[in-house]
Amino acid sequence: MFSRIARTSLQKSSLRLFLRAQSTNTLTKTQLPFTYSASGPSFIKYTNEHEWIAAHEDGTAFLGITKYAADALGDATYVELPEPETEVEAGESISSIESVKSASEIYQPVAGTIIEGNEQLSDSPQLINEDPLGAGWIAKIKLKDIKDLESGELFSIEQYENFLKEDAH
Amino acid sequence: MVMKMNTRTFIDRWLYIEIGRVIGVNMSMCVGIRRLSLVRCRRFSSKPISQSVKSLDDECESLNTMYSDMFTVPGTSKDGISESGSVDELDELNSELNSLYHVGFQVLDSKDLEEMVKSKGRFIIRSLSNDPYYNLALEDYVFRNTPIAVDHESFHSQRLMFYVNDKCAVIGKNQNIWKELYVKELNNNGYDIIRRFSGGGAVIHDLGNVNYSYLTSRDEFKREFFNEKIVHWLLGIDPNLSISLNERGDITYNGYKVSGSAFKIAKGKSYHHGTMLINSELEKFTGLLKPKSTPGIQWKCNSVDSVRSKVANIPLSGTNAFIDICADGFRSHFTKNETSIFYCNESSSINQEIIETMEKLKSHHWKFNNTPSFAIDILNGRYSLEVDKGTITKSNPSHLIGLSFNEFVDHVSKEIDPSILRSLQ
Repeated sequence: MFSRIARTSLQKSSLRLFLRAQSTNTLTKTQLPFTYSASGPSFIKYTNEHEWIAAHEDGTAFLGITKYAADALGDATYVELPEPETEVEAGESISSIESVKSASEIYQPVAGTIIEGNEQLSDSPQLINEDPLGAGWIAKIKLKDIKDLESGELFSIEQYENFLKEDAH
Repeated sequence: MVMKMNTRTFIDRWLYIEIGRVIGVNMSMCVGIRRLSLVRCRRFSSKPISQSVKSLDDECESLNTMYSDMFTVPGTSKDGISESGSVDELDELNSELNSLYHVGFQVLDSKDLEEMVKSKGRFIIRSLSNDPYYNLALEDYVFRNTPIAVDHESFHSQRLMFYVNDKCAVIGKNQNIWKELYVKELNNNGYDIIRRFSGGGAVIHDLGNVNYSYLTSRDEFKREFFNEKIVHWLLGIDPNLSISLNERGDITYNGYKVSGSAFKIAKGKSYHHGTMLINSELEKFTGLLKPKSTPGIQWKCNSVDSVRSKVANIPLSGTNAFIDICADGFRSHFTKNETSIFYCNESSSINQEIIETMEKLKSHHWKFNNTPSFAIDILNGRYSLEVDKGTITKSNPSHLIGLSFNEFVDHVSKEIDPSILRSLQ
């Protein structure tokens, strides 16, 4: 009986993997990380650790993981959310995602203060897989200086996609 | 069983003391002899055998024979399965003893440890310590400080680590300690309780269980990789061994789980670590991990649940046999260069970073308060609580707010049925 359940979930997850592979690492335009300001985010950047960060004009940013990372991790079972009002330095770990027995750290690419974690992930960690660049955002952050996002270490979407291609070799 | 364990521990200690006295070397080095005995140390063991040590060997022979009798299942070799073609165990023990006597630098000091870990390259680490806090902190140190490959060069710094922990219960990073473990029972029976940094479920360790940890890059991370290799290597020793991988990627022997796995991914690197039950006292493990549900108590939490499985030991002669097989397998998988094995212990191979990690692992805050927030209902609403970071934040009755969950359990210990109480402790 257990093996049947396991097989079914395996089939389901490979189907889901197939569907996920069809989509891209661009931000979901109908969700908060994009719709937070009327004009949309002024910066959308990616890291080599497979996080994305979308920052709006007022210095508020949203952070999450890319579609590529969510697919690679598999079904999320628990998301450790960052504490509001915590000041974080660039490169600090602010959260972790557990999926299929692996704990994966999430890093803050630029300095700022956590406004809140996405509480929806507490009850619905699967949002990480279903919509990682939208409803599955992890942290809302007040950036120390939005210009930090111009750092050469962060990727544009094109650079990130190229990075993934090179990585595949 | 109790007697057997006690005798074994006694003989072990006695043996170390005797050998230490005879050679006249520092006792901390001797503690490693038993564990060194079966692991080949190719980098260091080609030293010439001096006459004095030869006579020492003769002197120690009866001890050694007794030692190997104690730890070898009759009719098995170091690989635990077939007698033919195996290296003489005694010779190996002696050769290890010799190299230990001659050089004494197998155990990395803090400077060497740092240099090795921070440089590129593959190697194997064997911890001689049975302290679970040290072993997990050492593993974390190696993980954090292994260099990542830059600019898409390929990763050549895979590391394999082995350690054996004294008896302890280890839970996953995101588990509810009270839901998973009989904390009081574990404390009463001398088990340490540890929250590790990787995901997954709760396991019990003892000296008959060996932990392996395979570190590679995040790009190369594949959950099944190392367990597939282990099965392959074990079948290479005995094709008839009835081991396989189940759907969850766990290694089973005759259908029983013999190994559990957990993973960690951070900063471009990943590790897969797992347990391998070899001669664990499994009958003592019962009543330490809580069942999935207990009557009278309803948990509401998003923490990670353990998957309960029936476990068994794998038929090898001991933890060293398993380490040997995996170390050889690791070497043959990466054929390009010889892979060194380094030994570590908590007195020599230590530094500030490891000490700080040990302190974190030992802290009440990390063990208990890092439990993901949860709600609990006891006896159909008699107590209804919400607990965040180990402290009650909402409660009916309300006077319990502000107590830690442990204080609450003490507080109600005289008011509720012992069987319900036990499920909370």
